[in-house]
Amino acid sequence: MTITPSNHGINTSLGDEGLGQQPWWVEQWMELINSYRYKKRLERAWTYAREGNVTSIRFEGRRVHARVQGTGEDPYKVKLWLDVLNDEDWRYVLEALTQKARWSAQLLAGIMPADIERAFAASGRRLFPFKLQEVRSECSCPDKANPCKHISAVYFLMGERFSEDPFVLFQLRGRTRTKLLEDLAEYRRKALETLAAEAAKHADTPSDPSESTVSADNEQPTPPHPAVLDPTLWWRYDASLDADLVVITPAMEGDTGLDAAGELPLAEEPRFPNSKQQFLNHLRSQGQALGQQALIAAMTAGGG
Amino acid sequence: MSLLHATWLPAIRTPSSSGRPALLVWADTWRVAEPAGPGATPAIHPFSLSPDDLRAWLSERDLLPDGIIDATACLTLPSRTVKPRRKRGEAAASDDGGWTGLPLQAGEPIPKQTEWWPWQVQGLAIEPGAATAWLARLPLSGRHPDLADELRWWSHMQRWALSLIARGRWIPQVELSRGEGYPHRARWVPLLNREDDRRRLEDLAARLPLVATCALPWREPTGRRSNRTTRLRPEAMRAANPVASCRPRSGRLRVATLLEDLVDAQLRTGFTPDTEGLDPLLSAWQEALGSDTGVIHLDDEEAERLATASHHWREGVAGNVAAARACLELETPEDGEDLWTLRFALQAEADPTLKLPAGVAWAAGPQGLQLGEIAVEHPGELLLEGMGRALTVFAPIERGLDSATPEAMQLTPAEAFVLVRTAARQLRDVGVGVELPPSLSGGLASRLGLAIKAELPERSRGFTLGETLDWQWELMIGGVTLTLRELERLAGKRSPLVRHKGAWIELRPNDLKNAERFCAANPELSLDDALRLTATEGDTLMRLPVHRLEAGPRLQAVLEQYHQQKAPDPLPAPEGFCGQLRPYQERGLGWLAFLHRFDQGACLADDMGLGKTIQLLAFLQHLKAEQELKRPVLLVAPTSVLTNWKREAAAFTPELMVKEHYGPRRPSTPAALKKSLKDIDMVLTSYGLLQRDSELLESIDWQGVVIDEAQAIKNPSAKQSMAARDLGRPGRSSRFRIALTGTPVENRVSELWALMDFLNPRVLGEEDFFRQRYRMPIERYGDMSSLRDLKSRVGPFILRRLKTDKAIISDLPEKVELSEWVGLSKEQKSLYAKTVEDTLDAIARAPRGKRHGQVLGLLTKLKQVCNHPALALKEKQPDDDFLKRSAKLQRLEEILEEVIEAGDRALLFTQFAEWGHLLQGYLQRRWRSDVPFLSGSTSKSERQAMVDRFQEDPRGPQLFLLSLKAGGVGLNLTRASHVFHIDRWWNPAVENQATDRAYRIGQTNRVMVHKFITSGSVEEKIDRMIREKSRLAEDIIGSGEDWLGGLDMGQLKELVSLEDS
Repeated sequence: MTITPSNHGINTSLGDEGLGQQPWWVEQWMELINSYRYKKRLERAWTYAREGNVTSIRFEGRRVHARVQGTGEDPYKVKLWLDVLNDEDWRYVLEALTQKARWSAQLLAGIMPADIERAFAASGRRLFPFKLQEVRSECSCPDKANPCKHISAVYFLMGERFSEDPFVLFQLRGRTRTKLLEDLAEYRRKALETLAAEAAKHADTPSDPSESTVSADNEQPTPPHPAVLDPTLWWRYDASLDADLVVITPAMEGDTGLDAAGELPLAEEPRFPNSKQQFLNHLRSQGQALGQQALIAAMTAGGG
Repeated sequence: MSLLHATWLPAIRTPSSSGRPALLVWADTWRVAEPAGPGATPAIHPFSLSPDDLRAWLSERDLLPDGIIDATACLTLPSRTVKPRRKRGEAAASDDGGWTGLPLQAGEPIPKQTEWWPWQVQGLAIEPGAATAWLARLPLSGRHPDLADELRWWSHMQRWALSLIARGRWIPQVELSRGEGYPHRARWVPLLNREDDRRRLEDLAARLPLVATCALPWREPTGRRSNRTTRLRPEAMRAANPVASCRPRSGRLRVATLLEDLVDAQLRTGFTPDTEGLDPLLSAWQEALGSDTGVIHLDDEEAERLATASHHWREGVAGNVAAARACLELETPEDGEDLWTLRFALQAEADPTLKLPAGVAWAAGPQGLQLGEIAVEHPGELLLEGMGRALTVFAPIERGLDSATPEAMQLTPAEAFVLVRTAARQLRDVGVGVELPPSLSGGLASRLGLAIKAELPERSRGFTLGETLDWQWELMIGGVTLTLRELERLAGKRSPLVRHKGAWIELRPNDLKNAERFCAANPELSLDDALRLTATEGDTLMRLPVHRLEAGPRLQAVLEQYHQQKAPDPLPAPEGFCGQLRPYQERGLGWLAFLHRFDQGACLADDMGLGKTIQLLAFLQHLKAEQELKRPVLLVAPTSVLTNWKREAAAFTPELMVKEHYGPRRPSTPAALKKSLKDIDMVLTSYGLLQRDSELLESIDWQGVVIDEAQAIKNPSAKQSMAARDLGRPGRSSRFRIALTGTPVENRVSELWALMDFLNPRVLGEEDFFRQRYRMPIERYGDMSSLRDLKSRVGPFILRRLKTDKAIISDLPEKVELSEWVGLSKEQKSLYAKTVEDTLDAIARAPRGKRHGQVLGLLTKLKQVCNHPALALKEKQPDDDFLKRSAKLQRLEEILEEVIEAGDRALLFTQFAEWGHLLQGYLQRRWRSDVPFLSGSTSKSERQAMVDRFQEDPRGPQLFLLSLKAGGVGLNLTRASHVFHIDRWWNPAVENQATDRAYRIGQTNRVMVHKFITSGSVEEKIDRMIREKSRLAEDIIGSGEDWLGGLDMGQLKELVSLEDS
């Protein structure tokens, strides 16, 4: 995937091979940058980004730390952060997020839900910054303007960095993955209790799933390993080879793990525009050769 | 004998170590050992082989791996408590020195109280790449006496790894360092999202032999390779494990990690990086993926970025290894409803029948929940994550996730069909369980097929295969029957999922056509078809699978008998049979007669000692008594047992006219042979003559052909096998075929084809087909489904009962005495005759006082000749022709072969020490294993060591030679279940005393006592005297050998001269 400035400001476009579609949040992020008025500065920033002047981007807690090599000897330090949601806001967001299990499901499967903002709308806040002004930034360069070209250069690269981990944005807004998941589980339990209470009100029968089905009582002691009771298990193995492993088959076309995993969610280094594709292509061709070798090895296995 | 083991030494990740795992190959062997206990370091494993011995041992078997270094590791092993022997004079105060004991060895009886203790084990460590190559060379199936069970587990793991690589089920990952100063690493990680791979993980984890992973992390961190030795560092060890018993835990993660190590090692070894044009990040990653250690040279920040991205990359395909997964259960609509219900649940990986509804998962607190005995952490997230992946392959799920704690959703009929037909498989592939209603759950039962009712026609006795049965059939699908008209009506609905008689079924495009064709053909059903359809599951009739076959009572009886689902109907001993048949022998006789009626060849494969000879003789007598024996039967057997046959026939079936086709005076032309067979019922010949006289033998119209020791025709291309097959082929008139063998034929796949080709050639098809379809998959890969199919095909024709079968054991006395009749080789015969001739003259001339000694000497010499000419000629070493020169040895070897094959143990008694030595040398070479010989010159301590080893070593010798005098009394050798008396002693009490070494308290098996008797020789006469309890015998038994001196020359001559038998 490459990002190029054009006459109409900066567009994002598909990569050379036309492979894959941009995640929507990258698009949204680029739109945000596009809304910036100083086009000249943007173009210079783009050159910086493309030529690799941004030497590092690091998510640390609620902040993004970056280093950008400018004209000076030492790189400038850039800091970016978003407005953090306060606990009150998060309560609203969590309550809303809980309402649709799909949101959590998608996030856990590594997908940023397209309608995630609806969960944030309840609090009147957003996950993604809506305006560039919401993105706070600081640069150690002497330039007074904000965003300066160093900051802008970092902007260009951030969009894709979000797709490396959908939980990054939550982190910037003040909730780490672990904390978020814990909170969500808690809210789900609450929702369940509410449901049960309502049902009880209607049916006039006491039923509390958290008590009836799951309680701390089921903390049985872990049963001892069977080998403790039958020490011969220490040595014994009398199963025969799995029928599916008798004949070893190659992967079907387009059916390898790499095919299933698809695009590597790693932001591209602009100086090496085809790097990711090459990396994957090489893995693929080597994988095929190694698969062939494995097939041959399997055929000669088991002796005679 | 040593037993080879392999244990994984996991990678130790320390700042300076290579961080690579290794496979520790080690072996243990039984020896007398002092109990030991751990001190500051674990005790040294007293039975493990030194690295040098191990190298030699491995080279000898062509199993020496590449890339090995000497290593010592700490393994947790089950151990028995043994108090140290207190040395004389030592104070009793040393008693509280802590635990002492010995590690258990595989196969050793388990003590009442087992403890787990770490032991220092010496062995060879193989680096991962070489280890995988080595594992791929190990056999995938079968038991191998030198290789411990877990090696097979390893070879299966390695095969799985190969399969994953071949299918491209892997993804590169970056793993972050475990702390300050530790390197970050690039890893190749297998993807276990597919249903079958997940199931395999559960299987291999559930069956993990723990010795494969029982190493404690105590290798020296630096893994110094320069001095080629890896040693333990005691301090590190104490830190890692206070010396105490260590107990096992669940294996899923452990096995997944092992698999990861195997896959990683192979991909790493084969991968060649190409970093041209890559950015620094990807370039470093690729370099590390191809390097030995996997260390990735990036700073923390970059490595973290790669790690996050690579994990995220993988999560789209496969979650982490967890105890449970999300599961979707489809329920059919209620009556009159359209919509299907899809329930969400949490399902245990280890046992898919363990499920909990989603509600329970949502309600679970931070402590997780229990699925049966399985603890599940973060059940809500597991469920959600699975649902997230389910969304990517089955979009309708989205609707179901619109609430906070969804438990079920509704599907339209079209969506339900998509789920049944395609999405279920895809969902399973992304690691989501899917449960469909039984009538739709795929597999054969949900396909259109037949339900059949059949019975023998009234007049039929069920004896001819081609005969037509009375039968009715119905179409059947998903467990419900339907008529053709109903099928047409359902097909007319143009909906793939239809409801019939309350069950939802899936119609496929060709179903109607197949059904119409079947109805139009209106075929007949033969007994042959019924036998075939009931033999293997999933057999079809005109392309329609047969779901159900109900046999009427009379047909059922035939089917059950045929498939040996019940014991064969017994047939009492026929008239004219002199002797008693045990109950199981009557059943064997009934079975032979049953298959004979069907004109099917039969293989009686009863365990040694159960009386195959008697059953066969009874069968022939049965034919004779029924006036069905019209032409002679040819019996082919190894030369060494011809004598035995003749003797047994004479004893049990005197009415059968038996003739030998053997020796130089046998008929040589068809006419002469035919003439000589007048009124003859059974002709005995050897395999050698079968081959040499094949044309001659084929000229006779035999009524049947019997081959004894049928393993003789195991090689299909050997001449004697072909000759046997040709003889077995029914020519002008039907000819029955029977094979006898004591070996477990049904387990010797390679030998089955030749056997079946003799018995019933159509059953297994051509040899090439057989090799491709059965032999290769079973022998090389241990394919169970092929083996099951093969067994069900040959099952009806093989009857094998074991001494240990419950039904048999009650029929058998605890001690079974068997007389093994043997002949003499040419050399033995002439030596015997010459000895008699020379000595009798001398005795006749000798003064009376010296005669006694001379007679004794003569008898001894003759007994030696019966054993082996080499013994009589005082040769010191077995020569090349050793086996050929003695008929007795040949027979002994044949029987021992079966004993060893069966894993039994045997005592062999002889009265001649020289013979013991010769035999020991020969047997050791023959079976490449230790055969101890206990004789008068064995010292007391050696004697005890031999006995201990025979009784206690789990892999101790199977054969134990003893001299009758030195080993006949006092010893306890109950591990043996066979006793051989190679030569006879005058006094049966002495023999019985020797037999009682095995047959005594502590013996849990039936004991088979084999007594060798050389027919026609002095041995036979001794035997006769003992049995007839003649006055002569009483003299012998009662008063020693004085009577010998009193024999007159006539009596003496009769005693010693060779009778032509």
